[in-house]
Amino acid sequence: MESNPGKLLILYATQTGNAMDAAERIGREAERRGCPVAVRSVDEYDASSLPPEGYVIFVVSTAGQGDVPDSMKAFWRFLLRRDLGSNWLEGVRYAVFGLGDSAYQKYNFAAKRLDKRILDLGATAIIEKGLGDDQHPSGYEGALDPWMLSLWGMLYQINPKFFPKGPDFSNPDAKLIDQPKFQITYNNIEERNYQSSTLSDLEGLELQIERARSMSGGKSLRDKNKPDCFLRMIRNYPLTKPSCGKDVLHFEFEFVSSAVEYEVGDVLQVLPTQNPEAVDAFIQRCDLDPEAFITVHPREMENRPLEARMETSEMPIKLRTFVELTMDVASAPPRRYFFEVMSFFATAEHERERLQYFASSEGRDDLYKYNQKERRTVLEVLEDFPSVKMPFEWLVQLVPPLKARDYSISSSPSAHPHQVHLTVGVVSWTTPYKRKRRGLCSSWLASLDPEQSMGIYIPAWFHKGLLPPPAPTLPLILIGPGTGCAPFHGFIEERAIQSMEGPTAPVMFFFGCWNEENDFLYKDFWLSHSQNGGVLSETKGGGFYVAFSRDQPQKVYVQHKMKEQSKKIWNLLREGAAIYVAGSATKMPADVMSAFEEIISTESGAPKDIATRLIRSLEKASKYHVEAWS
Amino acid sequence: MDSSSMRSVVLAFIDNPTVLVSGVLRASRELGIGQQEPQTINQASPSGELPLDSTSVDNVIAVCGSEFSNDKLSEEIYRVLKPGGTVIIFKNLQSGIGETDKAVSALERKLLLAGFSEGQRLQLESSAEVDQIFGVKAKKPSWKIGSAFAIKKAPKSSLKLQIDEDSDLIDEDSLLTEEDLKKPQLPTVGDCEVGSTRKACKSCTCGRAEAEEKGQKLELTMDQINNPQSACGNCGLGDAFRCGTCPYKGLPPFKLGEKVSLPGNFLAADI
Repeated sequence: MESNPGKLLILYATQTGNAMDAAERIGREAERRGCPVAVRSVDEYDASSLPPEGYVIFVVSTAGQGDVPDSMKAFWRFLLRRDLGSNWLEGVRYAVFGLGDSAYQKYNFAAKRLDKRILDLGATAIIEKGLGDDQHPSGYEGALDPWMLSLWGMLYQINPKFFPKGPDFSNPDAKLIDQPKFQITYNNIEERNYQSSTLSDLEGLELQIERARSMSGGKSLRDKNKPDCFLRMIRNYPLTKPSCGKDVLHFEFEFVSSAVEYEVGDVLQVLPTQNPEAVDAFIQRCDLDPEAFITVHPREMENRPLEARMETSEMPIKLRTFVELTMDVASAPPRRYFFEVMSFFATAEHERERLQYFASSEGRDDLYKYNQKERRTVLEVLEDFPSVKMPFEWLVQLVPPLKARDYSISSSPSAHPHQVHLTVGVVSWTTPYKRKRRGLCSSWLASLDPEQSMGIYIPAWFHKGLLPPPAPTLPLILIGPGTGCAPFHGFIEERAIQSMEGPTAPVMFFFGCWNEENDFLYKDFWLSHSQNGGVLSETKGGGFYVAFSRDQPQKVYVQHKMKEQSKKIWNLLREGAAIYVAGSATKMPADVMSAFEEIISTESGAPKDIATRLIRSLEKASKYHVEAWS
Repeated sequence: MDSSSMRSVVLAFIDNPTVLVSGVLRASRELGIGQQEPQTINQASPSGELPLDSTSVDNVIAVCGSEFSNDKLSEEIYRVLKPGGTVIIFKNLQSGIGETDKAVSALERKLLLAGFSEGQRLQLESSAEVDQIFGVKAKKPSWKIGSAFAIKKAPKSSLKLQIDEDSDLIDEDSLLTEEDLKKPQLPTVGDCEVGSTRKACKSCTCGRAEAEEKGQKLELTMDQINNPQSACGNCGLGDAFRCGTCPYKGLPPFKLGEKVSLPGNFLAADI
């Protein structure tokens, strides 16, 4: 079959943008070798169109606890259909590349399942699945580079017409042959008088955010441009002792705009404000005119037809505002492609060489050390390579998009009408090169002073999280060490109110922290509800249990406290209790699940594998929920 | 496909996990399938169908609460069992002994009508916490009934996009192998930064050559801070250009001979 192979379809399922980045890289590499491609997100692609495709590459991240990314949920459900049969994808050739983290038990489960399922549906594998691993010295790129080389080799073998110039690629002219995804239109002065002066500050801000975000790329179809609401901070106080090593704060906000209805267990997404000095420094470094009015359009390209122009307004926006609201200049590190494009715009020879080295396979590990491990900001990178003059179109495409951050809501709307509260740990760490880094959003929120908060409007969105609000008669087993206690603070506030109106079921809550003296978050709150017949009290059939991991020589964690309450947990489970787990990811959810398996196994006499089956069926019956973050 | 591995299914129709666990335990012992992992199905679709292929299962263990419909279920179990396969149905009854007898007989009859043979009653010890559990064990006759034929491949364009029932989907965990489920091996990461890329210069003055010999990271001396020099010429250019053991790593770029600015914690020893 030596006819023209047509386009190579590359479908990606991304959670935080890595799979999209990898997919675009694969697309670029294919195009450089003369092979046309079409790169799509799975949520923009109709799964039932798969059978006629000749060649499909899947690039899939594993999210959460071994799940497919949100953007892939519908696509995956379709593929799992029994009635597709085992010949549905006959004639389709495919390959899968997965992005995962081997520190998690369910390493790359999404890619592994997908690979098997596509095979079972009758397709033929081009090459074995590639598994990218965050734990590798250069992250997923470590696996992607060699996998891609095999891919090109194999595709060329199957049909040499794929790569008319052969499967190996070299760029003799050392000229950038890619085109930027965006084009910028600069508007002239007369058009500046468009902003109506009848808009209030708040409405003006809302409009700007909507406009800027609709022009900027890098968002999924689900992200809304216009904020759901604006908040003002009314209280800000620490929950931990100063200089104990952790800085956790309690924030209370009121709605400045109309209130949004929410439930306990929901997630608040906050768009941080960048440091104005950093924004100014960036604009100056890149020789941009902050006062210019611009519109940003996606450039129409063959492999990416224009997405539906949903709310893309044609109204221009000030360049500085666009940078401020959508381009993360002082927090997130840029990706490998940024360095590659920089190399074409570096006028100093040693800079150009170094950048090309960083963008190559040989220099990949060093790039990882310099860039990702150190969390270099775009500003720092541009300052380290002062001869680089990158056009604004490329900057818009390659500077990481300013992302809104998710926080579990810690208030019950019944307890605090027209308010929403958060429990936030300020993110700070020291890099391998001993530089101090702070989280953008958490430190910004921490710096806000309620006394000075007039005119400071915080754009926010509300989402459902993974913790559905429980009915008052549902017995609960809650495990939430550290800031994982945030959603359960809301659960308890709510249940306390419900208990005044009718009977409520018992609640067992397991909390954990380092020291009773230092970081016992909401200590008085939990204690007050576990006394005097409160919803956490023993008299009501529940309990409150704390593990202080560092108050004694050996480590004591929530799972140890759980095992001490083995019988009580088993009894509550037999009454139909639901389990909620929230907190820091990696080890804790797996340790908690093992503890449950042990408890069930011990109390019922069943072997371990039966206990595991039981927990699996609890998950399927929507009685075991985990919200974990890193 | 390994034809010697047995495929078992556990059907559960109750909320009470105690019953499920004890029931499955006893059934496993009866059937001698302690080694395999049975597949668990929590509910059939409202039309009563089981999400399994016909003649695909060796053993079925059904554990049911007091209320469920026997007829369709028995038919379905019959359908999915391989010829010669075994079914054990447990019912959780909260009634007195006489009624129990009646209920078990009714169960036996239903199974017989559905085509099962060799029905046996099973009596189980019940403990204080658990209600009476009674069961019936039966076998599907080993002669084949009819023959199977391949279903034509459905035309590609006529697939509906709407699906409502979870039972129409395969179990995604069946896609994973034993190998996949094992704890992944973390890749061995070389700890030190020494030896990854550039070697020390021939005229090295920063101490890199000695460090390479010892395999250590370099410390910064006061002299190096006040009067920074660089034989390789790269130390002042910033982290992007520095070698793995450069003592100036982490510091901003500087000009040779000019004092380097330090952030506060820089001279603190590594832990």
